[in-house]
Amino acid sequence: MRQRQSSSNILLKAVAIVCVGFVIGILNNAFSERGVSLVGKWDKKAVSDSLVVPHSYQPEDPEAVTLNQALKSFESEQTIFLDCRLKEDFDAGHIEGAVNLPWEEFEQHFTQVEPSLEEAKEIIAYCDGTECELSLLMARELAHLGYQNVKVFFGGWVEWTKAGLPVEKGS
Amino acid sequence: MKLLKDIFADKHTALVFRMMLGLLFVYASLDKIANPQNFAQIVYNYKILPSFLVNIFAITLPWVELICGLFLIGGIFLESSSLIVLVLLLAFTIGTSYNVFIRGIDIQCGCFTTSLSAKKQGAELLFRDGILLLMSLQVFLFNQNFATLPGFYQKILYRWLLK
Repeated sequence: MRQRQSSSNILLKAVAIVCVGFVIGILNNAFSERGVSLVGKWDKKAVSDSLVVPHSYQPEDPEAVTLNQALKSFESEQTIFLDCRLKEDFDAGHIEGAVNLPWEEFEQHFTQVEPSLEEAKEIIAYCDGTECELSLLMARELAHLGYQNVKVFFGGWVEWTKAGLPVEKGS
Repeated sequence: MKLLKDIFADKHTALVFRMMLGLLFVYASLDKIANPQNFAQIVYNYKILPSFLVNIFAITLPWVELICGLFLIGGIFLESSSLIVLVLLLAFTIGTSYNVFIRGIDIQCGCFTTSLSAKKQGAELLFRDGILLLMSLQVFLFNQNFATLPGFYQKILYRWLLK
């Protein structure tokens, strides 16, 4: 059996390994096509009062709506709320009358949802909350498919339930 | 009880744990390396690091995981690589606990997949982290540099010299 190394030796090597990993990571990121900027833009930006959107939100993206606007649309009953979260989350609770279209399973489920989307005067996509970008991805895709009346409610499930607005469970 | 203790302190057990941890870490690193943007989003969601550190962490952590995983499998710098794995697992456990117990939020783990809508799993996650922590501690303490690549080459070299 070999003798155990001194603890400072172990620590030194551990630091060296971490440094090598760090350097490879930075280099790989610099040369990779999928590389990201070293310092990300993670702060939210406020578009208008009480409207907060993720930094990835672009001016040409589908319109973002506040909780108040979402509620008005909800009351008009001409708007379809599109829940972009997973089915389990949807089943556990969602905005009353919302339709589920999990972003990850867009292709499998889109045809089922399509008729109700066609009928609706307005589509509002939402997911968990401002941390969640599924609704934005969904709205972009729908706009890309030619839907003109798509909006994003970034406040999502979190803001809706915090305000105590109507929800329901089940599929 | 003594038997259990002996098994836990055994170098063969360390070898098995080492392989499992190594494969796990290599596997876990690959998807993160391939999808840095998604992984950065997950790191951000943990709400632990200041935002300017999020991307750097997301870019470099998977590589440290990959190297440590490979070293564990090959038995290279075993004490050091198992120590890093131990510290990383400890950090992951603290990160998850902070979100589950203090923020009360079940966030995406980002452990093995960077998919942003993968299943969430706070409590299971902590249980798994605990097991892995124990395994890495065992490897750190009892590996005895058993069945390592450097040892293997050393043996071959000795044989060749003694001929």
